[in-house]
Amino acid sequence: MTSKITTSQTIGPFPHEAWRWAVDMTANVESSAPKIVVKGAIFDGDGVAINDAWVETWMPDSAPVETAHAIPGYRRVPSNDEGGFSLQITMPQAAITGKPVAYVTVFARGLTKHQFTAVFLEDDAGLAQSEILVQVPQQRRDTLIAKKQADGSYLWNINMQGAQETVFFDYI
Amino acid sequence: MNFDAVDSGVYPELIYPPYKSTVKRGPTQAPLRINAAAATTTNLFASPRLILPHDMDMTAQGQGEPLGEKIVVTGRVLDEDGKPVRNSLLEVWQCNSAGRYWHKRDQHDAPLDPNFTGFGKMLTDDDGRYRFVTIKPGPYPWGNHHKAWRPAHIHFSMFGNVYAQRLVTQMYFPSDPLFEYDPIFQSIPDAAARQRLISRFSLEETVDDKMLGYEFDIVLRGRNATPMGI
Repeated sequence: MTSKITTSQTIGPFPHEAWRWAVDMTANVESSAPKIVVKGAIFDGDGVAINDAWVETWMPDSAPVETAHAIPGYRRVPSNDEGGFSLQITMPQAAITGKPVAYVTVFARGLTKHQFTAVFLEDDAGLAQSEILVQVPQQRRDTLIAKKQADGSYLWNINMQGAQETVFFDYI
Repeated sequence: MNFDAVDSGVYPELIYPPYKSTVKRGPTQAPLRINAAAATTTNLFASPRLILPHDMDMTAQGQGEPLGEKIVVTGRVLDEDGKPVRNSLLEVWQCNSAGRYWHKRDQHDAPLDPNFTGFGKMLTDDDGRYRFVTIKPGPYPWGNHHKAWRPAHIHFSMFGNVYAQRLVTQMYFPSDPLFEYDPIFQSIPDAAARQRLISRFSLEETVDDKMLGYEFDIVLRGRNATPMGI
């Protein structure tokens, strides 16, 4: 059967004001559950920061502990002038083991189709048994793993191209 | 849901040199096809409370009527089985009738319209249908190359019923003379896939002497939705 799906087009340079409502609504998380912060930046093939990208996350495990949130388990964040973004993630009571803390969708001008990826934490004891990571070639898994920083936050960069090109997914 | 691989040429090329900014931003490696149950069975919940009174009438967001040609755009959001994608969040944004976006970085020398921001959002109904009233957007220059003008378009952002259905695209208008010169439109190799981004004029949806109607149906990826509606 030949599919008749609607194809993709870039978000272009001008979604900021139109997409702002969801940034504002999802920025502050009202939940007593513990939180972590994943910070990073997004870079093009020359290592130049992409200052007009957007990062969205879907966090199915966090959604149940964010019931007071406008859109539980969802964040939308524009990259800043340095390509940077910061994601506040609510951790559920049971540890997220072997699973991504966030499914991440990347959009940008010059990106003709959004890209799906996911972020895992390096101190997750279940990484070796991860049903997702086992499907990723070993030498590329590192691009999906956020590294713990001295201040307790996690660092995770997104590289659109290059030796450290982030693994992007197409879900089956 | 199940997501078949997309036929070659249906998606735009990720690196398409005539569209200059793709060269350093498009991933070079093919996406990795993986199983991830959460991505294909769960999604965010968009409450009807997120939709504000004039989100579906972009001509009613200012103090007065915006300038330009008032139109209504409607269609159904379906999955690959032809089933309606119900109660699903859909955002639209566009420039005004003069070709200017309400955006601090848009430097195009065309006037802003104080009565038109060009932002809308809505939920699809039980039949997968959406409908909004707006002003027909104008073409605008974008600096990619000499005489680079975008065909008139409305940006669509859809969240589907499961996370993996997420889609952002652009809807075009029939018979636009700029199609053949536009590298963003032409970055899609498959001619039929390009045609599916072009809305259809509809006399049926035209509202008396108020506004012309355009129809634009959207097919998101995914088959075998569960009977519970997701």
